[in-house]
Amino acid sequence: MRTRTRTLTGVLAAAALVAAGCSPTTDDSGGDDQKTKTQSGSISYQAADNQGPAKPVDGATRGGTLTVMQPADFEHLDPARNYVNTQQVAGGLLYRALNGYQEDGTGKLLLVGDLATNPGKDVNGDCKVWEFTLRDGVKYEDGSPVTSKDVAHGIARSFAPALNEGPHYLQQWLYPGGAYNASYQGPYDGGKPAPDGVTTPDDRTIRFTFPQPHCDLPYAAALATSAPVPAAKDTRANYDLRPFSSGPYQVKSYQRDVALELERNPNWDPATDPIRNAYPDSVRMTFGLEQAQIAERLVADGAADQAALSWTDVPPSVLPRTTGAGVADRVVKGPTQYNWVLSINTQRVTDLTVRRALNYAVDKDALLKVLGGQAAGSPATTLMSPTTAGFQKYDLFNAPVTGDKAKVAELLAGKRPKLVLAHSNLELRTQQAEALRKNLTDMGFDIVMKPIDNSSYYDEVGRKDNPYDIYLSGWGSDWPTGSTVIPPVYDGREIVAEGNQNLSYLNQPSVGAEIDRVRKLPAAEQDAGWMALDRTIMQEYAPVVPCYYDATYELHGSKVGNAVLSDAFGIISLNGIYVKK
Amino acid sequence: MLRFVVRRLLVAVLTLAVISLVTFGLFFAVPSSPAKVMCGKNCTAADIAQVERRLGIDRPLPRQYADFVQGVFVGRSYGDGDFRQDCPAPCLGYSFRNNQPVTEIVVQRAPVTFSIVLGGAVLWLALGVSLGMVSALRRGTAFDRAAIGITLAGASMQVYFFGLILLYLLVYSTGLLPFPSYTPLTESPVRWAAGLLLPWMTLGFLNSALYARLSRAQMLETLSEDFVRTARAKGLSARQVHTRHALRAAITPIVTIAGLDIGTSLGGTFITETIFGLQGLGKATVEAVQFLNLPVVMATVLLAAVFIVAANIVVDVLYAVIDPRVRLS
Repeated sequence: MRTRTRTLTGVLAAAALVAAGCSPTTDDSGGDDQKTKTQSGSISYQAADNQGPAKPVDGATRGGTLTVMQPADFEHLDPARNYVNTQQVAGGLLYRALNGYQEDGTGKLLLVGDLATNPGKDVNGDCKVWEFTLRDGVKYEDGSPVTSKDVAHGIARSFAPALNEGPHYLQQWLYPGGAYNASYQGPYDGGKPAPDGVTTPDDRTIRFTFPQPHCDLPYAAALATSAPVPAAKDTRANYDLRPFSSGPYQVKSYQRDVALELERNPNWDPATDPIRNAYPDSVRMTFGLEQAQIAERLVADGAADQAALSWTDVPPSVLPRTTGAGVADRVVKGPTQYNWVLSINTQRVTDLTVRRALNYAVDKDALLKVLGGQAAGSPATTLMSPTTAGFQKYDLFNAPVTGDKAKVAELLAGKRPKLVLAHSNLELRTQQAEALRKNLTDMGFDIVMKPIDNSSYYDEVGRKDNPYDIYLSGWGSDWPTGSTVIPPVYDGREIVAEGNQNLSYLNQPSVGAEIDRVRKLPAAEQDAGWMALDRTIMQEYAPVVPCYYDATYELHGSKVGNAVLSDAFGIISLNGIYVKK
Repeated sequence: MLRFVVRRLLVAVLTLAVISLVTFGLFFAVPSSPAKVMCGKNCTAADIAQVERRLGIDRPLPRQYADFVQGVFVGRSYGDGDFRQDCPAPCLGYSFRNNQPVTEIVVQRAPVTFSIVLGGAVLWLALGVSLGMVSALRRGTAFDRAAIGITLAGASMQVYFFGLILLYLLVYSTGLLPFPSYTPLTESPVRWAAGLLLPWMTLGFLNSALYARLSRAQMLETLSEDFVRTARAKGLSARQVHTRHALRAAITPIVTIAGLDIGTSLGGTFITETIFGLQGLGKATVEAVQFLNLPVVMATVLLAAVFIVAANIVVDVLYAVIDPRVRLS
């Protein structure tokens, strides 16, 4: 997931969400939790995990209306176009993909079959052919059965250029090399009903045949891309406004930018669903309040807002009022899947010693202070975030969070490298860049600042021949394993002229070879492989300075029960949430 | 009278045409590409070109303006094949971000702003004018001085300050009032009024300050005019002198200002809407600017112009009604 932009306080807040993968975030998860935290995510083929109904939540009661207050409306609810965490969690109430995440809020994250009876069968053991069998008894809101043809149609329509905002993993894997939709643009205007490599031998089976092995397909099948869309109900661009429900809720009314009201889908059978408890009778999402207003209302906990929550972070101005009795226990905080690093353009800063010196020099605390301190994140030392499966914290440099001046001086040995620091012109990013300039100048570097208009920031630094040496960037995984962090951001073979995600332009054959090796491992063994490679890259090339793990700091009202942070999405999960009587 | 109205309407249409042309030029010629904003994260140059074609913004500007005008009068459609979206007249554009014709958005948002402004205006005019009149008649008394003091405070304050204080006192800390919300008047008049009480109070207090000061000054001036002395000399009661003669003369400039104030506010009260979390035209406009949702910007700017032009015509007509000396010809 491309970077998420932290929401800014003030009236311009909504704009920050445009390019971002998400809603904003913070945390206070006190570095301590994170140091010891090991993500225990895995793919489960255990029958007990894959069978509905979902395990009941202690003390949970059925009924009531849950309210979710958000600063801005969802960009998209259409499963083919759904690529932002808030949309993914909201969409999860309306439709079910082949797979999904079963979470209990303690860091235990299991990938299980959602529509499918299990997370996918690797038919030949080479990760090239995958087969899913749909559960019996899964129905749409009108009572008709969900078929594998509908899943195929959902995937097919994601090839349409007009519906291209979602993730493109399945599409690229089916049509590797070049643009995924060069030869197939969906089932519209005479296109065939399903892309090459997707077949449905019968109404309950769907089979994927990829030219190359993809052992993490079970994760890709958890994205909304594989949610079923019956061809007869496909309203194309307007599907965004009214997805046809296969989940526990259906759209009752939707006024764009104002409110989305969900009511129970009477044909959803909990016995078919191992993931969702769906305790509230209805869910109401309201849009258009400022970040601070939402926080104030949730702090005040007025009668109308007691069954409400928000996925938006508490802004720094309201933070002090969230620590008292009656409020502190309504805070949900923790790391998200985003990690912010100072990318070092290795094409220009070719001296490894300088890159190592930068790793000793950066004052991570100062960068966090700009965003509100501890609530906004915690200092990072790795490439992947603590929410990644198999995460093990390591710190190669052991520098204090404010930097180690003596060590920098020793490495630089009297030299004073001159570096061009590019930054987005957003207020907070400018403040961070200014803090960085001061910090690095003090540490013995000469820094030239280059502000870039925020809307073209990632375009500029993503140009291979960009004239900058260092720049801050954030990256979040698309699913909680290293396979959507290390390969997209550190594989030199992916470098192109423009639109790069490998912003340090690290291009090392040994890294590429290791990526290929890990990719071919069975999914369960990949986690350790990515974590080891994370460390190796930092050890041997130091292409970035890991700066901070993004964190979220959210509030809910006093009548919301079991509001836990989803490790898969980095915001409060709605699957096991309930409204207290 | 009829000739006057017809002539003014013709001028108004011309004004709006010019405004639409200027707005169009300003917003559609901006360097940043709305297609890019819409296209999102994993977008190639080919994708962007396709979005531009769908939006119709790959065509030359004059052609786009012609398309726009055509949409307003006879409707138009966007895209082709399975992704064709029809936009019936009066089509002010299509918001691909919201998947809605812009006209629909405006129809949804306008009642919110109307409710805020009209309710607030009733309050601020009633409060302001009566306070000003009474102060003028009791010039120099404690009431007058207190009224002047309070209105000075009101006139110096801003919506974003006073509104937040009211929110804090009446909503966050005491829970006396619910957080403002909009319920259509047709659905429940009680909930409509209850949800808008805070913005009305805020606008009522702040704007009445100006009107109180203005009407006090006007009234004082009128009371010293010859015709008032004549009326008194004729032996009319004080009440008749004040309401039938003095007030009617004093109120003319106030009608002008009120008309323009209301006209301007109807185009969007962004700050008030933002503070109280109400989804009116003002918020729609600012959000549209942020997302480069140009058709919405275009429509709301035009609509704001319509309100101001219309308010001007209404004020002129009212003039003739209030002041018999004014002839509309």
